[in-house]
Amino acid sequence: MTLVPLPPIDAKRFNTVCQFCIVGCGYKVYKWPVGRDGSTKAAGNALGVDYTGQLPADAEWIAPSMHSVVKDSDGSSHNVVIVPDKACTVNDGIASVRGGGLAQTLYSEERATKARLTHPLLHDGDKQAPVSWDEAVDLGARVIKAVIDRWGPDAVGMKFFDHGGGGGGFENNWAVGRFFFTGIGTTSASIHNRPAYNSEVHAAGDAGVGTLNNAYIDAQLADTILIVGANPYETQSNYFLNHMVPNLRGESLPYKKDSFGEEPVNSGRMIIIDPRRTMTVSAAEAAAGKENVLHLQIEPGTDIAVVNTIARIVLERRWHDVAFIADRTEWQTFESYQRSALGAERPLAEMIAETARIAGISAKQIQQAAEWIAKPKPGGTRRRTLMHYEKGLIWGLKNYEGVASVIDLALLTGNIGKPGTGASRLGGHQEGYVRPPYPGGRPALNVDEKVRRGEAKVFWVGGCNPVLTTLKAETFEQSLIERGQPVREAIAATKGKPIGERVAAIVEALKQGGTFLLAQDIYSTATTKHAHLVLPAAQWGETNLTSINGERRLRLYQRFMDPPGEAIPDWKIMAKFANRMNALYLDDNDPLQANKYLDFDWKTDEDVFIHARYQFDGSAKDPMEGYAGVTYKLLEKLGNNGIQTPTRLVNGTVVGTVRMHDHGRFGTPSGRARFVKATWPWPNYAAQVERQKAKFPFWVNNGRVNHIWQTQYHHQYIPFYRDHNPIPALEMHADDAANLGISSGDIVELSNDEGSVEAMAYITDAVKKGHTFMLFGQPRGSVGDLLSDHVDPETTIPYYKGAWAAIRRVGPQPESTKQLSFLPRNIAE
Amino acid sequence: MADLSDLNRRDFIKVGSAGIAGLIVAKALPRSAAAATTSAPVYPVMDIGPLSALAPGGAIQFNYPDEESPAILIRLTEPGLNGAGPKQSLVAFSQLCTHKGCPLDYNAERKLLICPCHWSTFDPAKAGAIVIGQASQPLPQVTLKIEDDLIQAIGVDGLIYGRHTNIV
Repeated sequence: MTLVPLPPIDAKRFNTVCQFCIVGCGYKVYKWPVGRDGSTKAAGNALGVDYTGQLPADAEWIAPSMHSVVKDSDGSSHNVVIVPDKACTVNDGIASVRGGGLAQTLYSEERATKARLTHPLLHDGDKQAPVSWDEAVDLGARVIKAVIDRWGPDAVGMKFFDHGGGGGGFENNWAVGRFFFTGIGTTSASIHNRPAYNSEVHAAGDAGVGTLNNAYIDAQLADTILIVGANPYETQSNYFLNHMVPNLRGESLPYKKDSFGEEPVNSGRMIIIDPRRTMTVSAAEAAAGKENVLHLQIEPGTDIAVVNTIARIVLERRWHDVAFIADRTEWQTFESYQRSALGAERPLAEMIAETARIAGISAKQIQQAAEWIAKPKPGGTRRRTLMHYEKGLIWGLKNYEGVASVIDLALLTGNIGKPGTGASRLGGHQEGYVRPPYPGGRPALNVDEKVRRGEAKVFWVGGCNPVLTTLKAETFEQSLIERGQPVREAIAATKGKPIGERVAAIVEALKQGGTFLLAQDIYSTATTKHAHLVLPAAQWGETNLTSINGERRLRLYQRFMDPPGEAIPDWKIMAKFANRMNALYLDDNDPLQANKYLDFDWKTDEDVFIHARYQFDGSAKDPMEGYAGVTYKLLEKLGNNGIQTPTRLVNGTVVGTVRMHDHGRFGTPSGRARFVKATWPWPNYAAQVERQKAKFPFWVNNGRVNHIWQTQYHHQYIPFYRDHNPIPALEMHADDAANLGISSGDIVELSNDEGSVEAMAYITDAVKKGHTFMLFGQPRGSVGDLLSDHVDPETTIPYYKGAWAAIRRVGPQPESTKQLSFLPRNIAE
Repeated sequence: MADLSDLNRRDFIKVGSAGIAGLIVAKALPRSAAAATTSAPVYPVMDIGPLSALAPGGAIQFNYPDEESPAILIRLTEPGLNGAGPKQSLVAFSQLCTHKGCPLDYNAERKLLICPCHWSTFDPAKAGAIVIGQASQPLPQVTLKIEDDLIQAIGVDGLIYGRHTNIV
């Protein structure tokens, strides 16, 4: 039987935050030498918990999934236990299914995580073989220099993480930005999943509204929570369970009464705009009662029309916040918003009828949503509505207008900057963006297209996997293979030759249409396998890092173990390359170029953190990430509750921000928020998308699920998670499945003119007829293969949710997956 | 924020309405508890109840391996992974959710074990595999033995919530 060793009293203790989703739950790490375990008596273990008998519910139980054995670089073996932190206000001691398995993501020779990249690799024409860091950096820097010198900085393309949490953080983001923007000065940059270097929420930025403006506590105080295109039970789990659910259950009523005095308060209600009946819908109904949950199960891309129509009803019923609009917004923008997005010159009934028809919901539901959002409470007090949106909108029909519709509704109803309100992303990964300004313009350059055309002579991919997650992914991978081939041949032909000859041969290959691919990651991936140079990075827990969560809570994620082999943090990789570039240009007697790569002499992760901090001055002009005045020492002291950014310096003291925009100003020159463009009633499908939609019968909605983080880069090595999704599940309606002779578990093929992909059928009532839903970036099958290369021309953001395909049965459920459950994944009671 | 103390005070077992008809509460007590002479856990052999009294879809609540550890025996309407008895239809599990230890409800109509606290759900026909939810371990499965008409619990596979070792 599994026996989880207990940490002794003198176990080393560290604070950390989950490496996965935006919520950023606090965890405690205990580490001690193998064989020196604590005892089950409360006085004999580091948690001070009596483990001699049965613990009550909600106790600090250490599940077997929370333990691993790791080795330090001196060869010593240590137990590591990672348990949710009861003292962290984000999660109050609750783990999500992902966080409960954090210990299993650690590098261990006894686990499948031993697949980690441990040494730099060079493709010698035959295979990727280990080389020294010096050799890898020298070759890479020389090729990059040669490309800049011949073709200019924009011939160096990159696609990198820009996020917080595992693999990202302020330290690594700063180093990457300094190298590519201050150093190389390329505009051919792009951000992890997408083809360009751009905000996913330009509309919020243009409105002057911070993208994560509320505090999680607002979910306990709101009268109504609106969720558009998100599934928080599964993908922001502990924000939903620990903050929204107590409100829906009425458990936060005493807190509401304390906060709002005489203002009438009640248990919270929830409105969910989602084409699927998700677990979030069921759980909300179980918590609040069905009468307090409104699910608008819409047709694809019609959320913009629904939100704008709700806003129009609010305006028509005079439920808008006149004082807020007058005092806090730019009046002219309100005028144009009424005419464009709200269609104020057309009859309301006509607008409601049209929206109901295209969205496939009833007029009554739309009216009800408007009431729950903005109808004044008894006595005339304004309703407090917290509005959240995520990828359903962001990666929806039209990025800019989707986000705009929600921000505008929040401005119209005065629901920003007050307790119980907000208009924020729910978030995917955590945040931690700090970089010198991107030198490119807007709309941003489509770098994927540039790579396909061979105009990126160097393409450097860091901490992301475009072969799985980009658009039209099959042809993207094909271009990496074809353009990589002449470079591989050049490397093979110059084996043992002087470095100058090798670089010259590579440059010749680049002239012939080749691309030199560098890939930096923690594991070998579908993308790194095509790389000429593979650079092994350290992961979460192997370096100190800092990030913010969905309520801008900044914390220090402490290093508690050594990276495997020669892996080093991303910031160190960037510094190695920068220092080499500097030396190469000095050798070339080109101080102007050399000086672009100064100030990479960081000794510690905190050096990078402090260096980046000078982007912020502690004034109201700082962005939501601003952490002026913050040091590692302060964060160590604050532990897993950290401090909420942006921070201000008040008489030398660092002061955090619980809720953004609560003191008047928005992020515009006037300090007033702007209503931003959101066409009425909706922009309709782009021609390219419309053609695919007309030709193929099934909508392939796609996204994340409860168990799996992103491309499964860790989870494919952990049996509990891997076996839950061995092949990407494709949710189908029972009638559609019956028509095609498909049963749950069958292997099916989805195909369209872009490509094809296999999935496992999963029959459910969560999707409407004609709709399907697939896990988005699974190594065994990725929706990217079905996506056209259409992007929103205004933002270069793709319509990732907009694929249509034909489906056919390929074969029966594989015998090896018989442990899989096909019971419904959306039942709560 | 979620206050679990109220939930803990609720009736120890709450079965979804569809499951009530099939529910029997086991009154059997452990028949023997062999003395532990090695470090390996030695599980008691415990009578749960007669097979003949348990219709397909029905369930019996019992405590195993001791009084503080609620468990549930389910007679599935289909074969279960690691099932015992007729058509491998008999399965039993620890009834404490492996997430935070709330007692699970059995919904016979949906064939699911559901946690009322944070809604982790488990499939009794798939060895207690998690269907959805925040638990990071499958449900510990109770090993069963059928002696004539008598269903007995003889062991547990997997660590029970709230325990350092299953035998305390």
